[in-house]
Amino acid sequence: MASEYRSEYRAESEYPAESEYRAAGAGVAVPDVSGADASGAERRARERRSRRYRLDMRWSPYAFVAPFFLFFAAFGLFPLLYTGWASLHRVELTAPGDMEWVGLRNFSRLLDDDFFWNALSNTVTIGLLSTVPQLLMALGIAHLLNYRLRGSMFFRVAALTPYATSVAAATLVFVLLFGRDYGMINWALGLAGFGHIDWQNGSFASQLAVSTIVIWRWTGYNALIYLAAMQSVPADLYESAALDGASRWQQFVHVTLPSLRPTILFTCVVSTIGAMQLFGEPLLFNGSAGASGGSDHQFQTLGLYLYEQGWVNLHLGRASAIAWTMFLILLLIGAVNWLVSRRLLKNEGAAS
Amino acid sequence: MSVTKSGTQVGRSAPVRVPWGRRGLGAGRHLHGGRWTYAVLIAFTALSLFPLLWTAVAASRTNTRLAQTPPPFWFGGNLLKNLEIAWTDANMGTALLNTTVVAGSVALGTVLFSTLAGFAFAKLRFRFKNLLLLLVIGTMMVPPQLSVVPLYMLVAELRWTDQLQAVILPGLVCAFGVFFMRQYLIQALPGELVEAARMDGAGSLRVIWHIVFPAARPAMAVLGMLTFVQSWNDFFWPIIALTQNGSPTVQVALTGLGRGYIPDQSVIMAGALLGTLPLLAAFVLFGKQIVGGIMQGAVKG
Amino acid sequence: MRTTTRTRAVALAAVVTLGASALAGCAEDAEEPGASSGDGGGRTTLTVGVFGVFGLKEAGLYDEYMRQNPDVVIKQTSIERNENYYPQLLTHLGSGSGLADIQAVEVNNIAEVVATQSDKLVDLGKTPGVAESSYLDWKWRQGTAESGATVGLGTDVGPQGICYRKDLFKKAGLPTDREAVGKLWAGDWGKYLAAGRKFQEKAPEGKAFVDSAAGVMAAVTGSYAERYYDKDGEVVYKSNPRVKEAWNIASDFATSGLTAKLQQFQPTWDQGYANGTFATVSCPAWMLGYIKTKAGEQGKDQWDIAQAPKPSNWGGSFLVVPKAGKRTEEAAKLAAWLTAPEQQAKLFAEQGSFPSASAAYDLPAVADSKNAYFGDAPIGKIFAEAAEGAPVQVLGPKDLIIAQNLADVGMLQVDQKGKSPKEGWQAAVKAIDNALDQ
Repeated sequence: MASEYRSEYRAESEYPAESEYRAAGAGVAVPDVSGADASGAERRARERRSRRYRLDMRWSPYAFVAPFFLFFAAFGLFPLLYTGWASLHRVELTAPGDMEWVGLRNFSRLLDDDFFWNALSNTVTIGLLSTVPQLLMALGIAHLLNYRLRGSMFFRVAALTPYATSVAAATLVFVLLFGRDYGMINWALGLAGFGHIDWQNGSFASQLAVSTIVIWRWTGYNALIYLAAMQSVPADLYESAALDGASRWQQFVHVTLPSLRPTILFTCVVSTIGAMQLFGEPLLFNGSAGASGGSDHQFQTLGLYLYEQGWVNLHLGRASAIAWTMFLILLLIGAVNWLVSRRLLKNEGAAS
Repeated sequence: MSVTKSGTQVGRSAPVRVPWGRRGLGAGRHLHGGRWTYAVLIAFTALSLFPLLWTAVAASRTNTRLAQTPPPFWFGGNLLKNLEIAWTDANMGTALLNTTVVAGSVALGTVLFSTLAGFAFAKLRFRFKNLLLLLVIGTMMVPPQLSVVPLYMLVAELRWTDQLQAVILPGLVCAFGVFFMRQYLIQALPGELVEAARMDGAGSLRVIWHIVFPAARPAMAVLGMLTFVQSWNDFFWPIIALTQNGSPTVQVALTGLGRGYIPDQSVIMAGALLGTLPLLAAFVLFGKQIVGGIMQGAVKG
Repeated sequence: MRTTTRTRAVALAAVVTLGASALAGCAEDAEEPGASSGDGGGRTTLTVGVFGVFGLKEAGLYDEYMRQNPDVVIKQTSIERNENYYPQLLTHLGSGSGLADIQAVEVNNIAEVVATQSDKLVDLGKTPGVAESSYLDWKWRQGTAESGATVGLGTDVGPQGICYRKDLFKKAGLPTDREAVGKLWAGDWGKYLAAGRKFQEKAPEGKAFVDSAAGVMAAVTGSYAERYYDKDGEVVYKSNPRVKEAWNIASDFATSGLTAKLQQFQPTWDQGYANGTFATVSCPAWMLGYIKTKAGEQGKDQWDIAQAPKPSNWGGSFLVVPKAGKRTEEAAKLAAWLTAPEQQAKLFAEQGSFPSASAAYDLPAVADSKNAYFGDAPIGKIFAEAAEGAPVQVLGPKDLIIAQNLADVGMLQVDQKGKSPKEGWQAAVKAIDNALDQ
């Protein structure tokens, strides 16, 4: 029953407005006809107005998206295309203008590139280690923040402060905290009777440490996004659900979560993209040792490998190919994500 | 009132389930948090604040003290000295001013563009809409590390090197913002409101001004803040496009701080603190308005 | 109503700001672009781009030059790490914009810069006041392109000694006098290893002989002329017996448990200094300041410096003048002045960067220099001997990448992850092969 309310709510809000617009346009045309007895000048003025109105109606959507796409073409599309072109060449950063056509070699060589596969698997592992707990925790925290609280403002602002810290500053602190011999975390582990963990060299340990930085910076941010969405769930949905005897947990599952779905989808997409492009944290976590991501490349992500190829090894062409591969992988994930959520929507539509 | 009572029942039942426990009528936001709610939130807040606090502790110590065990837990006497070194070495005054201009322009521009485009994608129908939307989402997926080279060539061609617009204008391409506003407006802007205004013969500008902007206001505030923070902390592109003597942003200025062969951790920490403090101060000052704006908008929505 | 007003204000501000910045763009566009420009007083502003603390500013050299040339203003741009600095320099050179009038280049990058960028750099060899004879011969050649143009003028070099802790040596029953310590391993890196074994037998709990295996490897490699490239420019590190020797000695250090298992220039390494967890480290001249800062008061009077087993060089830098600059002539003049023997001697006295201008070695500021922190060691003499004895190294464009992967991938795995030397070597070779393949 709760879902009934919801689908109604969605139907109202998600319906494309075009039909409404057409109706509105027709509505304007009506007085045009009925005003046949009005003076000629007045009619002409009205016609002009309505023509302008139709033009407005037709073209304003483009005008609205134009500023974004204008900047996008210059500062987004051009670099993207250039990078695509470069990926088909042998280009070195020492002479970016000097290109030698190699076809798809930069892509095909990735198949046997152990460093690429290693980076891909690290990216996925760190992505899961950081994204899943982060979003679940954020959901829980948002739910708690949604209660009426003393000092709620304090909690909300405090939850966002990690986000205000730059990656550089945050990673610097965490490198100190995760220090092998004198770091505070190992010190605390020592007090609790555990041995020291080599956070930088251990494969899983280092991935966990990098994930921790990500989780720390983003949980509060996502909690706030969820909170904002929770606040906009209409109270009557809860009321009617409660009238039907739904428990708090059932309300959470059947009212809160479905209402949050666009938001959850949104955060999932954004976090997945962020995880796929993870770069600053593993770079700086390695201190001075460059972009290798540890002696065994144990926390080298795709973003870091791309950086190493382009900015350390100076192979622009190879780096471009990695960038485009990352881009294509993300598109693939996006497509799967879209298909799945569409499927879910359909199923639920059938169920209700 | 029954709500308040149920708040006191918290201690009795199993701790974790309590927040969802039998609470009777009403939406979540009308309920008072229980003891465990506070406990969890306080723990979360402590974890959120601790690394920042410890940055300040580290910045108040000497380099040598940072290398000893157990690590320092409380402030030492070197904070002002380290802050002063960081301030003068890193040309912080100019840097803070520049960063404010950059982050402010990027935030305002992004909010404006994203709201317009987000509204179009959320509520209007036009040709190529889905294709363009896909393009927006696709843009979010471009790894930023590599566009740096072509972007730099472009900026050099335009002779923008070391000028703030080299950082501001590319910063306005925020696909995330468009996506964010679209997601928000789908829910928060009732279609019939737009329809009604159109019935009254309102032009696009009036619809934007009187309907879209007010409805989008909370999300605009949030997006503005997020973009501001993002832009403030961005370092990868600015250190390439700007220099420390020309018009550095804070993050650019900080790259000059490390003492190279002799990096002094406590001074670097002091610099990191200086770069973060203005944002934190802004959060404390305006956090209330931002969060308040969200609540207001949410109730309406 | 309040809402609307505020929204309006925000939007208005957005438009105004955008407009303003666009206008600012136009205005500045009309001006002469480029890093250097004259200011109102008709003075010339010269910019110097460096990485890390290059020391020129800290040693007061800019101030001195500005006093001598009141019409010149010098500004410095510094980027902390060469890994960030170098790719940016290449990007800027490639587009001919965003460059400082003078740019610093690290020795591991100089071969690549000379080979690929020399057409974009001013030939400093022809600048008045620059005399080839006052520089170390090999340093001069490193900055000279095939065409004969000297595009890089040497600043400092990195002759190495071995820094050691007297207190730990005493406890382990080794001599503490720097002459005697030097004799322990004179002439042979194998003797350094033997001394390590001896040290470790009686070493105090938790103290290691050396900081890291990679540091040993760098020092050994630095004592040979041919390292990663041969004279014909071929990559030979895989078959070069010298590199193999360095690898084996360093591996022996690691597998015999003589290292503190640290990674150089990481916070953990700094902490090792502060807590005195290792007894020796191979130290180029520029590292003395580092040790002093990191080891702090507790390390005072404990550290000393002895000759390395063989004369060896690690690090050093160059200055180049990009042709894209607006005032290349003035910039070249400044670069020549900054690298002249007198100025290099001052740099050494203030910052510890050892001169590459051999003519400076006889100046009292160098020859008589002693270091109080290192028990008044005659560092001028020690480093001058090392610098003059160090071989003329054959450099190659990818020196940095090869050295970095050997150290931070290969040797680090052996030292910290307990991999066998063979596994470590294979991992390093694999990473280098991948890195060199265009």
